[in-house]
Amino acid sequence: MNVLDWDLVVFLEMGLRKWKDLSIGLNVLYSFIHDIAIAVYIGGAVAMEYVLNPAQRAIPPAQAQVMGQKTADRFLWLVWGSLGLILLTGTLRLERLQMLDWEWPFFSDAMTLSGSYGRTVLAMFIIWCILAINGLIITFVLRPRLAGKLSTRTSASGVAAAQGSKIQAATWVERLTRFDIVAALTAALLGVSLASGGML
Amino acid sequence: MDSVLAWAHAAGWAVYVGGAITMEFILRYAQKTMPPSQVAVVCKNSGGRYRWFALGALLVIGVTGLAMVLRLSESDLAGRPGDPVLSLSDAYGRTMLLLSLGWVVLAGIVASMAFWMHPAQARRSRPDMTPEEIQAERRRVGIAISRMNRLLKAELYLSIAMVAVGASLRQGGLF
Repeated sequence: MNVLDWDLVVFLEMGLRKWKDLSIGLNVLYSFIHDIAIAVYIGGAVAMEYVLNPAQRAIPPAQAQVMGQKTADRFLWLVWGSLGLILLTGTLRLERLQMLDWEWPFFSDAMTLSGSYGRTVLAMFIIWCILAINGLIITFVLRPRLAGKLSTRTSASGVAAAQGSKIQAATWVERLTRFDIVAALTAALLGVSLASGGML
Repeated sequence: MDSVLAWAHAAGWAVYVGGAITMEFILRYAQKTMPPSQVAVVCKNSGGRYRWFALGALLVIGVTGLAMVLRLSESDLAGRPGDPVLSLSDAYGRTMLLLSLGWVVLAGIVASMAFWMHPAQARRSRPDMTPEEIQAERRRVGIAISRMNRLLKAELYLSIAMVAVGASLRQGGLF
């Protein structure tokens, strides 16, 4: 008995007869990964901003800085992983819904900007681009500024300037994270509206 | 209205599951680099805040889920993949029942952590205690922490599984 036959037997044993159809399984798999990626992005940002950041304030500043760096570095992995999976599975889902094609003109009639569905998908893609740009700013501009260390030769004015720069960077990270939460929730609202043909 | 309910439901799941994954993947990792005394302070603070987020999110999930089921009509279901029917004789109905049971279990886990496990970890020994009583108190806290860890893992896996079960509804249900 080959592997595929064995899989079939296991599925039948479990009573999941409908899953013999691979396309249904793929649809569910893409939906699941898409949903989890969105959950990690939104829930992660909420947890970082409203749970972990306030908790850091309860420990000494030096330790809080170490914790902040560890959590933020790891969170950025989650953010980029989520954004990548959202785009990938979103595209694959549209392809399975026959809204997208890999050949010219790529988009089905329902996906053109004359229809609500197409406009809603475009708005979601624009929000994804904004989230990715904000992610790039945080990863390559603001995080390095926050992580920068001072040498023992740094003058008092240099220390003050570096601290000012770090406080400014931390404020911007906070603003961008809050903006990202609102933007991602807006994208989620647009996403659920697609089930009824779109919102815009 | 349906879109707003579905959005609130999705946002509730996102805050709940995403928060659980983040707490496990990030906070647990960060704890390994911190002194034990500060781990306790961070856990107390973050756990105290997170439980209200989790309970609030589960409440939103329950209320919006129920509202969506009550608004669901045969004509709504007719056009969906798999021609689902809201009955236990159909995969869609059975999957909905499984989701409801999952929600009850998750709510039970979060409530037990919020009102029983988390306070049990906050116990502190008093100056008037004997060394034996202090040892016993420390043992109790240790047991409470290991129970909490097991429940957190169970909650995380179950919540992720529930997202998969929920995703199957778009194809007419799981089993």
